[in-house]
Amino acid sequence: MPPRIRVRPRALCIRCLESTTPFSRPAASYASVATASATTPAPPIHQTIRSAPPILRYPPTQPPSHKPPEVRKTQLHRQYQSLLRSSPLILIFQHNNVKAVELMSIRRELAVALRKVDADRLKSGQDTLAEDIRLQIIQTNIFASALRVVEFFNPEEGTLDHTPHPTDPRTSTSAQIPQTSNDAADERFKHGLSRRAYEVANNRKLKLELEPILSGPLAVVAFPSVTPQYLKAVMSILSPSKGDFPAPTRRANPDYYEPSVQQGLQKLMLLGARVEGKVFDVEGTKWVGGIDGGVDGLQAQLVHMLQGVGGSLTSALEGASKSLYFTVEGRRMDLEEKEKGPEEKKE
Amino acid sequence: MLTRFLTDVRITFNPFSARSKSARLFLSLIPPNARTEGMKVEAKMLPRTSQEPANLAVKFKDGKEMNLDLSKMRITDVMEEVDRHSRTLARKEELLGN
Repeated sequence: MPPRIRVRPRALCIRCLESTTPFSRPAASYASVATASATTPAPPIHQTIRSAPPILRYPPTQPPSHKPPEVRKTQLHRQYQSLLRSSPLILIFQHNNVKAVELMSIRRELAVALRKVDADRLKSGQDTLAEDIRLQIIQTNIFASALRVVEFFNPEEGTLDHTPHPTDPRTSTSAQIPQTSNDAADERFKHGLSRRAYEVANNRKLKLELEPILSGPLAVVAFPSVTPQYLKAVMSILSPSKGDFPAPTRRANPDYYEPSVQQGLQKLMLLGARVEGKVFDVEGTKWVGGIDGGVDGLQAQLVHMLQGVGGSLTSALEGASKSLYFTVEGRRMDLEEKEKGPEEKKE
Repeated sequence: MLTRFLTDVRITFNPFSARSKSARLFLSLIPPNARTEGMKVEAKMLPRTSQEPANLAVKFKDGKEMNLDLSKMRITDVMEEVDRHSRTLARKEELLGN
């Protein structure tokens, strides 16, 4: 190993500035420093004729974020963004001083009811979602901010657009590397924690539809897909109403009538729901829960209706062509008879 | 907020109105044990389109009833209004000597 020589940048600078003066004091006390610029080797040939491949300056799963990424707030923000993006149906509740025991027993009842729905769905061969539906208490302001990012921040072009294609023979690597710098202020970032997302979401002129609801203590129940079957189960547990969403009977589910569950439910209020980006109040949520069969059921209804329309349309179109065919055919027969007529008379 | 002297709380509000924030915060100020200790709490939610102002009706232990329009009040104002009577009740209770 060659001996380490300390380079003092300040000393080098002084030397550059004072090089014109006749009496320059010896700035660098080491001989090698003075000749450093002279011995810089030329870059290798291949570097001068083709550009260096891009280097990723940050771990691919951790692009630089605007706020410090290690704090809880930032991670919650990221988590809420992913929750909002991945769940088309979110119920929003207000919880007023629900005790830990009550919350625990409510969650237990909710899990029991969802597992029952799971068993029903397994019989008919549908996928089960009970594991993914939970009552989750959220930090209201962070949730509101995450919702703003999800609603208003839509990065258009990808960061990978400028990168050379991996099959290009000039590139020395097949990995697609975005040419973003390791700086949160880079405009090309499109993750929700980037500075651009923060700036877009902080535009106070844009108003959220849910804004008035997002205050006070809140809890959400998020569904990974719009399934009224599960929604019905959740509603009948968490905000039962006499008509559409009756609470389980005392005989069917005695645990539901434990004081801890009932006292907790008194303090839990359903405020509204966010269904596929649209906001519904309690009535609207009940309507969504009342759709039989969910999205699949609606699609089946639509297909059925369209099939009926198609059938009648084809019969109508066929009818016109058939009548045309009959008239033309009749006319032909007529003409043939007329042609035959005189011939027969001649004979 | 003093909630010892409240026996009955009725709140109507529209959650989609920005002015009903104080109504919802008032609900969150009621302590966790209040319902089991005999306070009646009723929260009625109005549909999204209604323009009705948020309303709070409180009954105290001495029978006094208070009706407040919450749509123009902040939560601190509401607390002040309710506490004013609660404090007199608290003073009376203290003077009776328990």
